[in-house]
Amino acid sequence: MHLHDLTIKKFHQGLLNKEFSALEITQDFFNWIEKKDQEIGAYLSLNKDLAVRQAEEADLKIAKNEPVSLLAGVPLAVKDNLLIDGLPATAASKILKDYTASYDATVIKKLKSSGAVFLGKTNMDEFAMGSSTENSAFQQTKNPHDLTRVPGGSSGGSAAAVAAHLAVAALGSDTGGSVRQPAAFCGVAGLKPTYGAVSRFGLIAMASSLDQIGVFAKNIEDAALVFSEIGGRDEFDSTSVDIGLKEEILDFNSEKTKKLTIGLPKEYFEFFDSSCGGSIDKSVISAIEKVVSSFKSFGFEFKEISLPHTKYALSCYYIIMTAEVSANLARFDGIRYSRIKNSESEMRNLKDIYFEQRGNGFGDEVKRRLILGNFVLSSGYYDAYYHKAQKVRRLIKNDFDNVFNPSSGGVDIILTPVSPTPAFKIGEKINDPLSMYLSDIFTIPANLAGLPAISIPIKTAGGMPIGFQLIGKPFREIDIFAVGQYYEKNISHV
Amino acid sequence: MLTKEDLEHLAELARIELKEKEEKKLQKDLSSILDYFQELQKVNTENIKPMTGGTDLVSVVREDFLGKTDDTGKGPEAFPEQERGFLRVPPIF
Repeated sequence: MHLHDLTIKKFHQGLLNKEFSALEITQDFFNWIEKKDQEIGAYLSLNKDLAVRQAEEADLKIAKNEPVSLLAGVPLAVKDNLLIDGLPATAASKILKDYTASYDATVIKKLKSSGAVFLGKTNMDEFAMGSSTENSAFQQTKNPHDLTRVPGGSSGGSAAAVAAHLAVAALGSDTGGSVRQPAAFCGVAGLKPTYGAVSRFGLIAMASSLDQIGVFAKNIEDAALVFSEIGGRDEFDSTSVDIGLKEEILDFNSEKTKKLTIGLPKEYFEFFDSSCGGSIDKSVISAIEKVVSSFKSFGFEFKEISLPHTKYALSCYYIIMTAEVSANLARFDGIRYSRIKNSESEMRNLKDIYFEQRGNGFGDEVKRRLILGNFVLSSGYYDAYYHKAQKVRRLIKNDFDNVFNPSSGGVDIILTPVSPTPAFKIGEKINDPLSMYLSDIFTIPANLAGLPAISIPIKTAGGMPIGFQLIGKPFREIDIFAVGQYYEKNISHV
Repeated sequence: MLTKEDLEHLAELARIELKEKEEKKLQKDLSSILDYFQELQKVNTENIKPMTGGTDLVSVVREDFLGKTDDTGKGPEAFPEQERGFLRVPPIF
């Protein structure tokens, strides 16, 4: 069995048929990581001891013919802002360089009880702030399709790990596109669930009203499978809710799927407009057009829709996100979690220690957002920025509610590009924060409105991967999985 | 345009020490980002209720209960320095 053929389903079948053991596959993965990850740089740390024990446990159950979950023994990668008891969790920041997690995130606890295997922790933009993984304090992850290009971000390590077959699937987090954009750049599936569908307990918080834990996988079915294991109400996250029955989430019916109406928001395709400072690449437009015409030829109904406040989403997002960042990152004071050694700080007062530890511990982008967050929340600017952005956020959510409203002939699902361009070159945007921010322009609205969205690789002939995005109604992950799977299984337009 | 004084005040609020070089770059970056944010002022938000979180769930509370425990879990171990079960911090005055 070649690692690059492995999906969760195939792994499970192979395990049950005793074609291989979980331990063998886990060791194969570590061997491949040792070789391949030198050039990719997806992992920040490996977890060999625990992984081997987890794999052996899965094998023992199989040997005893005990019932096992579909995820038993499945080797996964985990973004380094998710806590696994006893393992490092650095969020790719110097300020957490020596921090070891003292408990399991809820998603980890659930996956452990399903018997999954954690290979290691993956690289990311520091505290999930960035769109290229160039903001990691530790290393540069490269795009497996072209080593001179970025893997996207902020969950670039997880995306690259799945794309380079360094894991079967992976966890990431998505605050403004941090799962979907790297998934599109690396040519894998990437899910951001509905806000509240997955518990955020044990995720190092960036912007709490926008963060969701998401999944990278080789196909939609695998993404749905992992989602159905990690989702649901958790007493440790008061915003989490029940996601419904697992069987229902995993049940696909192509005839039922064809009855879903797909909306195309015209604002997403008018992004050529220079007023918002960006443009959309021709290769992205033509790939999306192919996807749409293929769906049409299979009898799907499309409707042009309008989400008029789309052009304000980026500003709205950066104000709300930086405000929440400035509050969430206040806990990293250089006294708790981990401390950067410096003999001087022992002699000085508390405030000096904060300034020094945070000044040395945080990278440029984190500092930029902390300062912006303090600006938009400061008296005199609060109303014009933060309060205003919260109102615009409501308008953006209303736009979605309107187009999804069945009583006014609304659509069931929305199809858009994921990012205006394919993966860009390493270093290309790092000195221009605004142009970097613009690479999330199509993914941000789903976070502001709390909607489920998935990035699906478009079947293109060669070149860098390009993704399309499906956005669903709240807690209707099942719709985006269904349409996504329909595409994967039935459509070929290469 | 964000002045040097504005920036220093914000850095003070954010508890971040900035180097001279960082200040120059930040001043430039933040000014252009704040210019970009100006477009929000064009949106009519009269009578619009602010959206204050990621969900419209209301009042998620549980019954409060009183208990006694001396179990500190693994919290102290996760702290950078400890001594005889106490957390050790640098002198603060």
